[in-house]
Amino acid sequence: MSGGKTLAIAGVFLVLGVMSLIGGESDSPLKPIVITPELKEEFPLKSHHAKLSFECTFCHVGQGDDPKEFTYIGDEGCLSCHQSKEHMAERLAFMDKLHVNPHNSIHDGPTLYCDECHNEHKPSTNMCTECHEHDIDLWMRPTP
Amino acid sequence: MKKRILIAAGAIGVFLGLFGSWVTYEGLHRTSDDKFCIVCHEMAPMVSAYHTDPHGGQGESGFKASCVSCHMPHDNVFNYIYTKAKNGVVEGAIHFFGDVDAIDWHANRKNRDKFVYDDGCISCHSNYKTNAFISPKGQQMHTHYDALLGTDKQIGCASCHVEVGHMGLRTVLNYYKPEYEYYEGKFDAEKEAVEKGLIEAFKKGE
Repeated sequence: MSGGKTLAIAGVFLVLGVMSLIGGESDSPLKPIVITPELKEEFPLKSHHAKLSFECTFCHVGQGDDPKEFTYIGDEGCLSCHQSKEHMAERLAFMDKLHVNPHNSIHDGPTLYCDECHNEHKPSTNMCTECHEHDIDLWMRPTP
Repeated sequence: MKKRILIAAGAIGVFLGLFGSWVTYEGLHRTSDDKFCIVCHEMAPMVSAYHTDPHGGQGESGFKASCVSCHMPHDNVFNYIYTKAKNGVVEGAIHFFGDVDAIDWHANRKNRDKFVYDDGCISCHSNYKTNAFISPKGQQMHTHYDALLGTDKQIGCASCHVEVGHMGLRTVLNYYKPEYEYYEGKFDAEKEAVEKGLIEAFKKGE
């Protein structure tokens, strides 16, 4: 084999190699996130979600594979499982009778952002308490 | 002579076998719907919520699942009959001799994985992984469900589908037994409407 031919073949392999590397980089699957005890402590899950053995990326869709870089998933993320705000309001329809349904409040209807009250990795805070500090315990349990 | 006796014995055997099967089938079939179950089981709110659900005949097809479709194991016929008989005795005893008011329905709902049998769900929803009407998130969750099967983290259909088969169950339960004192006595009209609705539904044979 002549030196020129060898060089050409080597060149083709080099180009193909580089191409596969570039392609491989863009399509590389995300590293699976190992949920260590430290990670669990830093980002605890609600008990009802923990019971379902959720993986981080079930909620943090398209946010890579570094939990420290994850951001809020927005209403859309929550509702990808929980259907709609109207559906959530309907599940507590009995509370409408006394106008205390937090998902269909007399002030805002079913329009609040999920994270006005619900947090996943830290304790939730109920927005109703801002005004109804003293009577909220009567008609509502702690916010899940 | 011996041959005749053998044939007669065989014929009687076949007859008894078929008769026994028929009695068992009819017995199980006729004691499987809400109208029968509610006689002893304390479940008026559950049946009321069921009547407003697709599983209670409110879907487009009008199909109605019976109580046992979801609340009995379907893995083998002996387990099915045993569970049915056991529940019948236990629930009957509670109904006639127990303290019905002491039943904490709200707390019991947390055990829904124990009394909703996935094989019942899957016997109808066999395409739960491939059904194109299920959202991508739903399909992802069903794959997750499959991955956990047989592990110590196994979950059930009712783990996520919290009011499946009984639309608005928590609300109807509150009409009967409010979760908070604040609501006590406030749902008398609603409860009455539920009771009336049930009587009418059973009269119509729904």
